[in-house]
Amino acid sequence: MGGYILRRIAVALPLLIVISFLAFVLNQLSPMDPAEVVLHAQGVPTITEELIAETRAELGMDRPFLIQYFDWLISSFQLDFGSSYVTGKPVWSLLGPALLNTLKLTLVSSAFIILFSIVMGVVCALREGGWLDLSVRGFSFLLTSLPAYWLAALMVWYFSVKLDLLPTSGMDSISSYILPVAVIVIGYAGIYFRMIRSSMLSNLNEDYVLYGRACGLSETSVIMYVLRNSLQVAVSVFGLAIPVILGSTVVVENIFAWPGLGTLTVNSILGRDFPIIQAYVLVLAAAFVLFNTASDIINAAFNPKLRKEF
Amino acid sequence: MNIKKGVVLLTALLAIIWLSACSAGNNGEGAQSSSGAQNGADVQSSAEGDSSVKEIIYATAKDINDMNPHLYPGSMAAQGIVYESLVENTKDGIKPLLAESWEISSDGKVYTFQLRKNVTFHDGAPFNAEAVKLNIEAVQRNASKHAWIKLSTMLEEVSVIDEHTVQMKLTEPYYPALLELSMTRPFVFLSPNDFIDGETKDGVKGYNGTGPYKLTEHVTEQYARFTANESYWGGEPKVKSITAKVLPAGETTLLALQKGEVNFVFTDDRGADSLDVEAMQRLVDSGDYQIVRSEPMNTKMIVANSSKQESPASDKAVREAIWHVVDREMISRTIFSGTETAAETLFSANVNYADIGLEARSYDPGKAMQLLEQAGWVQEAGSDIRTKNGSPLVLKLYYDVNSSSQKTEAELLQSEALKIGMKLELIGEESSSIANRRSTGDYELLFNQTWGLAYDPQSTIAAFAADSSYRHTTSGIAQAEQLYQMIDEVMVSTDEETRKALYRDILTIVHEEAVFIPLTNGSVTVVAPTGLQSISFKQTQFELPFELMYFE
Repeated sequence: MGGYILRRIAVALPLLIVISFLAFVLNQLSPMDPAEVVLHAQGVPTITEELIAETRAELGMDRPFLIQYFDWLISSFQLDFGSSYVTGKPVWSLLGPALLNTLKLTLVSSAFIILFSIVMGVVCALREGGWLDLSVRGFSFLLTSLPAYWLAALMVWYFSVKLDLLPTSGMDSISSYILPVAVIVIGYAGIYFRMIRSSMLSNLNEDYVLYGRACGLSETSVIMYVLRNSLQVAVSVFGLAIPVILGSTVVVENIFAWPGLGTLTVNSILGRDFPIIQAYVLVLAAAFVLFNTASDIINAAFNPKLRKEF
Repeated sequence: MNIKKGVVLLTALLAIIWLSACSAGNNGEGAQSSSGAQNGADVQSSAEGDSSVKEIIYATAKDINDMNPHLYPGSMAAQGIVYESLVENTKDGIKPLLAESWEISSDGKVYTFQLRKNVTFHDGAPFNAEAVKLNIEAVQRNASKHAWIKLSTMLEEVSVIDEHTVQMKLTEPYYPALLELSMTRPFVFLSPNDFIDGETKDGVKGYNGTGPYKLTEHVTEQYARFTANESYWGGEPKVKSITAKVLPAGETTLLALQKGEVNFVFTDDRGADSLDVEAMQRLVDSGDYQIVRSEPMNTKMIVANSSKQESPASDKAVREAIWHVVDREMISRTIFSGTETAAETLFSANVNYADIGLEARSYDPGKAMQLLEQAGWVQEAGSDIRTKNGSPLVLKLYYDVNSSSQKTEAELLQSEALKIGMKLELIGEESSSIANRRSTGDYELLFNQTWGLAYDPQSTIAAFAADSSYRHTTSGIAQAEQLYQMIDEVMVSTDEETRKALYRDILTIVHEEAVFIPLTNGSVTVVAPTGLQSISFKQTQFELPFELMYFE
């Protein structure tokens, strides 16, 4: 198992390096002079040639591209992503708290999504074709197809303004979590429960189920076996779902004024604050790789066969 | 591994996720508080639907950002209530603020200011001549960032005469010096205790100004709270607390207003686009809110590149024809629901020196066609587009993709232009890219706006000649050299009558050449609780005089 984990990490590292390079190239792809971008981002009203030259030297943008990249990469490992073009504050001092806020939202939402998906998936699979299965599937299909911003606005209007139960936005107390989490869960639980359901169904038709039943195993233990095998799919799906949700909270965060990564990134994109965008891409890509690796490792823990295959 | 282990592993994983999320939710950690001990929940409770709370909580799309008044990323509305300048620009001209009085030497080069006594910074440090000198010198050491403010290129020396007298020497006379000293930044004053190694250009330790409000709490990307300065020299403001709450989405802002989580909104430099007019009207109809609108603050316009020889935009008749196909009344009515008014000239009549009775070019497609015919742009039978010497009448119009009103205006203009045989190609780009086009001259037509009351006409007119601004717009016209000479003259002229005459000539030339095609006049719109009195405006669209407002 230890060897497997090491091998898995050895694959992940080069991937991260490639991603970091792409993230860094982003800045260079802009048709405008990066120094000019910095000055625009700082809101300097009139930008002269001398000021551009001065800024270029100050930020080390006059050095060769590869040297800039390696400098940035090495500091990135120490969470030093440079300074924001707009505020001049270290990127991590902005990204760190925002990441934490988004993680809170993502993890709470993911926990509910996993919970609802498993419960609904299992129940629907066991009642396949029944009215419960049909109605849950139909209803979740409907909810999943609602655009998040619309659903969010509707829920804020009803629960916050009309019923006056919850705050409309912000991150002030536990009650602030309810609406954004609900919007995310509604959007994703409907998708992931289908995966659990179909994975359960395909497992239910396997020979080992028939064999188990023939051997006189109780229905509960048969279902536990099926669930265990179905969860293998679920683990990799959820492993990837968490970073997907992490990256897709943009809309929800903007509507609910959640001070997270989404809000920060949108502002940074509008303000062309490249160091923040680069760090965001890197952090998010790292999250994808991390969760993917973790889900592979968890799967390998569930299924020893996978360890040998790699 | 058996089933039991798997289930335990999964349960443990879920439990960890759940617990970590919950505990984090309780104490709201991760919020970056720069000062103050209260937590975020206070903002919530104090605002919620309680009409007895006499505070202003305004919604802002962006965080107040870096409050360093000697740099540019910060929110001007927030900086405006924390920091003050020596003098104030009002409707009736320059008035005293931190300087009680001033004298200008007869050659116009030496300004001597008598400072107001008994003024302290929010941290208790005295505001005196030394503080003025330290601040201005710190700004000047970063002069390359302040190239737009011409005073910074002419300031030779600041000297302390006595505790409350300070003198500034200029290299040459410059009449807008006082105007530029009145602006929100950079010539405003921060407590010298907040300087880092005597500098402000690389950041500051605190944000202590002399203004009516102190910044007492700032949670990045969430809210900033300002409390009344009890020892304000002008008397403690009546509204004791002002909170800037970050609400990026327009829909939520509206819902938060309905619920009372915020009770104040104003259009800032984003323009009227940021507020849905009909929705605001419904709030007013509910009886809880009022709408107050300022007089015109700036002019939205289309800028034509007269220096691009190969483009039809270099032809005066074409520019005039475009001017005549803009239906300003309709734009004002349908696109802005009346929040912006039709603009017939580059500057509205309330701008200094601009009320000179220039002739309006009204919406008149017939006149436009006639002008084009006379200039040799003819329409061949069977063709939609006019041509002249074989080149078609096609122009590119650049607009800001993030402005929905510009896009709609551009589309309206496109269809109107087609009726007179002119084709407009619309290209939406980021605002910084449009700014870049303007300075490099890589455009034919683009949307733009004047700088605003505080800066008009002098800063906008100075920009006519500046390479980084409107040089390409103006350099193709017949009287360009004469125009630039007059602009240089007007800035150093010490005689009011001469200035008036020069401004009249400058504005007449650019009006006749039709290089700045006005569309609408923007103003500031405020939505505030009905009980809030004395809502007024400053001579700038970026700030509000909160210190004058009070609840009934």
